[in-house]
Amino acid sequence: MKYQIVIAGFGGQGVVFLVKVLSICAGEKDIAFIGTENHGMSQRGGAVSCDIKIGDFKNPVIDKNQADMIIGLDKNESLRNLAYLKQDGIVIVNSDESYPDIPIKVVKADVNKKALNGELPIQGLNVYMLGVALKNEKNFPFTVEDVKKAIKKINPKLAEQNFEILEKAIKEN
Amino acid sequence: MKQTLMGNEAIAWGIVHANIQMVSGYPGTPSSEILKTVQKIQSDLKLDMYVQWATNEKVGFEVAYAGAISGQRSCATMKQVGLNVASDALMSASYIGNKGAMLLVCADDPGFHSSQTEQDSRVFAKFARIPVFDPSTPQDAYDFVKLAVEVSELFETTTMLRPVMRVSHAREIIHMNSETNFTKTDNRFKRDIKRWAAVPRAGRLSQGYDQLKRIEDIARYNYERFLKPQLDDLKGGKLLIITSGTADGFVRETLDDLDLKSDILKVIMPYPLPVKELKKAFDKYEKIIVFEEPYPCVEEQIACEKVYGKNTGTVHKIDEMSKEGVLKALQNIGFYEGKNIYEAPKIDLGFEVPARPPALCPGCPHRDIYYSIMKVFKKSKSIYPSDIGCYTLALAQGAIDTVLCMGGSVAMASGFSIANPDKTVVATIGDGTFFHSGIPPLLNAIYQSHKFILVILDNSTVAMTGRQVTPERFHQAIDIKKIVEGCGIECLEHNYSHNMHENIDFFKEVKKKYEQNDTPTVVVVRQFCILDNPRAKEFVPNIYAKVDEDKCVACDQCTTIYKCPPMHYNEHGKIEIDPFLCAGCAGCLEVICPTGAFEIDKREK
Repeated sequence: MKYQIVIAGFGGQGVVFLVKVLSICAGEKDIAFIGTENHGMSQRGGAVSCDIKIGDFKNPVIDKNQADMIIGLDKNESLRNLAYLKQDGIVIVNSDESYPDIPIKVVKADVNKKALNGELPIQGLNVYMLGVALKNEKNFPFTVEDVKKAIKKINPKLAEQNFEILEKAIKEN
Repeated sequence: MKQTLMGNEAIAWGIVHANIQMVSGYPGTPSSEILKTVQKIQSDLKLDMYVQWATNEKVGFEVAYAGAISGQRSCATMKQVGLNVASDALMSASYIGNKGAMLLVCADDPGFHSSQTEQDSRVFAKFARIPVFDPSTPQDAYDFVKLAVEVSELFETTTMLRPVMRVSHAREIIHMNSETNFTKTDNRFKRDIKRWAAVPRAGRLSQGYDQLKRIEDIARYNYERFLKPQLDDLKGGKLLIITSGTADGFVRETLDDLDLKSDILKVIMPYPLPVKELKKAFDKYEKIIVFEEPYPCVEEQIACEKVYGKNTGTVHKIDEMSKEGVLKALQNIGFYEGKNIYEAPKIDLGFEVPARPPALCPGCPHRDIYYSIMKVFKKSKSIYPSDIGCYTLALAQGAIDTVLCMGGSVAMASGFSIANPDKTVVATIGDGTFFHSGIPPLLNAIYQSHKFILVILDNSTVAMTGRQVTPERFHQAIDIKKIVEGCGIECLEHNYSHNMHENIDFFKEVKKKYEQNDTPTVVVVRQFCILDNPRAKEFVPNIYAKVDEDKCVACDQCTTIYKCPPMHYNEHGKIEIDPFLCAGCAGCLEVICPTGAFEIDKREK
């Protein structure tokens, strides 16, 4: 299996956390993977994008026209990374209805609105979007159980809260 | 044992498993997590090691090097521009050599992700005549630490490990030692004045001859151990591809994607190369192409008519490696004639996606201080040299005119004040950078009576690279104010306030002092880093802001010279504050908006 995911957002949204979750999913199942994260200039509010390539890959960067999925924690950041997506790839994005009409499969979830309505804390945005991805992509390389195991490994204290968010996303999308 | 690790974490484990007992370095992206992770392993496993941040890279190198001379395995960590600072020590250490291993880990940043230059530390190793290993993956990085330590002790030379950002910040499953049986030696310094204190001319000339012989011996070792086993398996043909570092992974994936086959020689020690032996191997090929980054280090050593690379214009010369770059080079050399598969049809969105450039964090006191400086020292009447750190991002506010290198702001302020006597020069530097290399130029400015203002932004942390401790935080006896006073001048002090007028009033006082002074006017502003918890919690008032749309006249003041990320225009053409990004710092509630449109958001957070 080979599956390449770009995760895009801005500093503070938990982009790197998602890469860690997926890395641990792969590590725990002993599936080869290589990924990369952009540290440095962006602290809070600057663009951040991370790549993870699951399967037998030899460099961590996703080139243009190669990704199977973009997980966009922010609408504009997902659009900015569209060139990396294959034409039959899928965009999983935190966006309202204003997302532009593009010739690519897009699954939207308006998590900002949910957070404003008090349905979930905004800190749960990343895990929620991972739930949306799990639900809507049948070729997603990991199962809900794999993801839960990884989340628990990273932070057992917040695991229960994150599981709730993950399940809420799976139920709602 | 298998572990999922980031490259820098893999290097840290390599350091521990190679029984390196002294580690000293200076933070800098993409190298910072190495020393931090060794510290964590040391604390988790209660290992008897010295692992500490130094005040700068030169100090870091020298602390470690004395350990190596004493016969103990030692390591210095830094980023590529840090090596410029440490280079004085390195150049000399290369002549003198060492007893215990001296590992220099120097992380490069092809593509300028977070560095002011794209310089290639492999070329620096060549300049210094020390061997260098170039890992292509985190696994290589872990393995090569051990190799480098072996080579360093065998040949008694500083040995470099040069990961690039895509190794340091890559993540994969690492196969590593199952157990950590850390053992340290009790070797001690043995007096050998002729060697450790060799002086020009005779002493150093003789060490120079030794150095030349040593590098020849290492080139032969490189051939026998790393290159010959690969060369023996090569078949020959139209093209030989030589790779170094990350280029190897990019090349192999591209060949797979394009369904092409070629012999590949992976150079793991790009300097010193056994040039004669390599050129002999070229007989079996029509052409040789070299993929490496960022400079043509291997290519220049083996240059001849058959060899293609950056210098021949075949491979891209600047910016990061990409599979598209490899594909184009293979097209250029006539090895691939198909289409560019790394180009997707462009999707026309009908609008430009707004950029989200790096910015100071919401709630960062730097923003308010820069705003106050600009308010008091008008742009048209001032020059603003600044330095390397988070605060460089005040560029977005138009509050910075020059950025050169670590500590450069202070001496540049001297120079600007001499060259532009009609302008007020207001330099800014962070506390970490001031300790790193800001003190000698301040001494220079005081004894030569240069007239400018130096604002030291003291958040008591090296914030940009992940909030490493600064000397004053580690040891409270060290105080910036006392250092400045010790240099013989007054140091004005201000505690950052979220009431903007208090910051502005303070700088008005600074301006008065400056007008009377014939020496530098030095100011320290006591701040905090908004991400530095739990310390930040003591300072942030948790007063959130919102916009009164009726008052907002869309004048752009807040989005241009205040520039806080939560502020953006909404569909009504009015400013809106992203409630999820607002940090509750209250900085914008005063002065910023000419019509007073920012007001307190009483919603519960």
